[in-house]
Amino acid sequence: MAGTVDAARCRACARLTYPTHYYCPACGGREFEPVPIEGEGTLLTWTRVHALPLDYEQRYITLGIVELDMGIRATGRLEMGDPAIGRRERA
Amino acid sequence: MRDVAIVGVGSTQFGRAQWSLLKMMCEASHDAIVDAAIGERKIDAVYVANMGSVRTSRQAGLASALVDRLNLFPAAAEVVENGPASGASAVKHGVQAVASGMCDLVLVCGGERMNEVNAFDATETVSYLSHRYAEYVYGVTLPALAGMFARLYMDRHGVEPRHLAMVAIKNHANGARNRKAHLRIPVTMEGILTGPDAFMNNPPVAEPLRFFDCCPVSDGSSAVLLAPAALAAEFRPKPVLVAGIGQATDCQAVHERPDPTQLPAVRLAAEKAFAMAGIGPADIDVAELHDAFTILEIAESEEAGFFAPGEGAKALERGDTALGGRLPINPSGGLKARGHPVGNTGVSQVVELALQLRGEAGDYQVAGNPERGFALNFGGFGNNVVATVLKGGV
Amino acid sequence: MTRTLFDWDAGEPLTPEEERMIDELEAKLRPPALPMAPYPPKAITLASGEVMVVRQASTDEVDTMLRIIEPVMWLKRDFFDIVAARLFGELLAWKLHRVRNEYCLVGVVDGELAGIVNGRLVDEKHGMSYHTLTLKRGLRVGAHLFASKMEHHIEFLGQDEVWIVAESPIGHRRWMIEYPLEEKFDVQHELGGAPSWVLTRETYFKAKERLVSGTRPVPEELLARSWPIREPDLRVMLVQVEDLLESRI
Ligand SMILES: CC(C)(COP(=O)(O)OP(=O)(O)OC[C@H]1O[C@@H](n2cnc3c(N)ncnc32)[C@H](O)[C@@H]1OP(=O)(O)O)[C@@H](O)C(=O)NCCC(=O)NCCS
Ligand SMILES: [Zn+2]
Repeated sequence: MAGTVDAARCRACARLTYPTHYYCPACGGREFEPVPIEGEGTLLTWTRVHALPLDYEQRYITLGIVELDMGIRATGRLEMGDPAIGRRERA
Repeated sequence: MRDVAIVGVGSTQFGRAQWSLLKMMCEASHDAIVDAAIGERKIDAVYVANMGSVRTSRQAGLASALVDRLNLFPAAAEVVENGPASGASAVKHGVQAVASGMCDLVLVCGGERMNEVNAFDATETVSYLSHRYAEYVYGVTLPALAGMFARLYMDRHGVEPRHLAMVAIKNHANGARNRKAHLRIPVTMEGILTGPDAFMNNPPVAEPLRFFDCCPVSDGSSAVLLAPAALAAEFRPKPVLVAGIGQATDCQAVHERPDPTQLPAVRLAAEKAFAMAGIGPADIDVAELHDAFTILEIAESEEAGFFAPGEGAKALERGDTALGGRLPINPSGGLKARGHPVGNTGVSQVVELALQLRGEAGDYQVAGNPERGFALNFGGFGNNVVATVLKGGV
Repeated sequence: MTRTLFDWDAGEPLTPEEERMIDELEAKLRPPALPMAPYPPKAITLASGEVMVVRQASTDEVDTMLRIIEPVMWLKRDFFDIVAARLFGELLAWKLHRVRNEYCLVGVVDGELAGIVNGRLVDEKHGMSYHTLTLKRGLRVGAHLFASKMEHHIEFLGQDEVWIVAESPIGHRRWMIEYPLEEKFDVQHELGGAPSWVLTRETYFKAKERLVSGTRPVPEELLARSWPIREPDLRVMLVQVEDLLESRI
């Protein structure tokens, strides 16, 4: 996953969300501060996709959902060679 | 609210169209109008279901264009877009218009011509449904979301690849009986899973999902004509009633859902539709579920309340959901074999159920005079779901 | 070679002198051929459960194939017309000895022609892939046959490279990504048009497990059923082709 992606922390209730919403899903707040997505996480699920949109020259890409220790989940490209549910992964 | 009846249905062949999107839609609409025998009566409003025409067919304002081709002036007209659930959403709007008393005769027409662009472009168009910044930019497509869902679901519920193959085999067998289906080729377990050449016949698309776990990219159009139940008898002897409609939404980014193996929008939409109809899942005789990916038929059959969680695959294995089973699911072939012209699918499900309840489904007619049908139309990856309950024999 | 083929203007027997001249002329027109190893037949179980035998076709079968291909030339869809028209010419040229080192493989399901692939040897090490025509749709017959053709070039004919262009751009992009093919733009493909792409021995063997299927040897009884190719009922076939053309949407 790209290192520059931010999650949002609600200034009112501190709830972390990714992706961002206009209202905080927990308290309805509208003020957020960016929090870089980083650290380690556990792989929740993954797939190797062969049905790709335009502009992809690869045969497939590997995507997964990671449950990050920082308390959010994120969807993104996996770099590991043999993914498995429960495996540790860096953001 | 007035009760609303389906007085006419129509549908084109599904597959790869030679003709323009509008021409297909005219055909389906014409069939529905003829089926209803409305005579000189005027159609008050037209709702068109479509998702991608701006990109795939370079046509915006489809509903106005359809009114023009069919000479339905000055009918009200608009397009309803709710991704792959556009069809059921448009039916819902039509039903609301009639139920409220604002309109008497309403035409709902779904149409999509995805094959006007190439397969990569079609995949791209559909992937716009995903979250632009948290999913799409990483290469997430609808098959990718389905693949991730399938892996987790199979892991938690002991669903095996052979169960997915059974959905495909069942729906291909049903589709082979449906003259209008896109794919009319029966497939076998040996051919797609266990045989020596199965890997090549059925290559991975979004692992663990394979080719035969996915719906095809289809063109097609379907239409229904709605009228107040009180007037319906004027048009046809056995109108079908729209007994209940329910809709629910969920997070756009799939990873934000509390439990990514659950489809709460399916559960809520089904509950609402059943509540409105005053019946429950056990009363349903035939269902058309949104099997864009085989895993979804199993998961939805549980979320909609037909089977307990984790029991869907067992019911399938027992043959309960086969054409001759206790609750036939997707007798038309479903999205898997009938095809999935994205925005049209919800309308076509309603057309299929109406035919079943009228006893006019021909070679894929469910036996025993089914009286209650259930359709589930699944938008996005389950972030906007519409369920419809129909009652026949009125 | 019997003379009757050329003896079209009624009755007059050819003089020995004339016969000799035609022989010589004919001999000049016929290209010399490289010896080519035969393609050992294989059996593929399709998704439908039907078994397709992939085997080499002989020139005796060309007329039957031409009759089957002919109506497809009018199918203006998915480049069927151009593939069928060119294949028609190529197979005829093969039968009449007007092309060097051509071969043709067919997929046959119980006597029914499911698809045709052909190509030729440019020299011992380089192959030229011509066409892939699928008549039985929806069962990835085209992909199976294309893979068989690559198998023939690399494994049985012992070549190092196969040069490829596709008539359909999207089909081409697929092969390119699937195998994947590499650019070989300095080679002009015989089908004209686009520059060539190449499948090398190395990429073939990397892709083989994924893309090449089938079982050998084919049981005698099954092989026997792959021959002869059934002469289709032309009327039925034309109706089917027209159905496709006129399909309601
Ligand atoms: C599965 C998928 C990737 C296959 O696409 P493809 O490889 O481009 O397939 P093609 O269009 O080349 O079709 C190849 C053949 O298989 C058949 N076919 C296509 N899709 C098929 C499918 N899903 N199942 C069975 N057969 C299929 C076609 O009829 C075609 O037959 P023919 O050309 O021999 O007549 C594609 O259908 C797909 O992306 N499906 C998902 C669509 C989607 O996401 N919809 C939105 C969901 S909400
Ligand atoms: Zn908050």
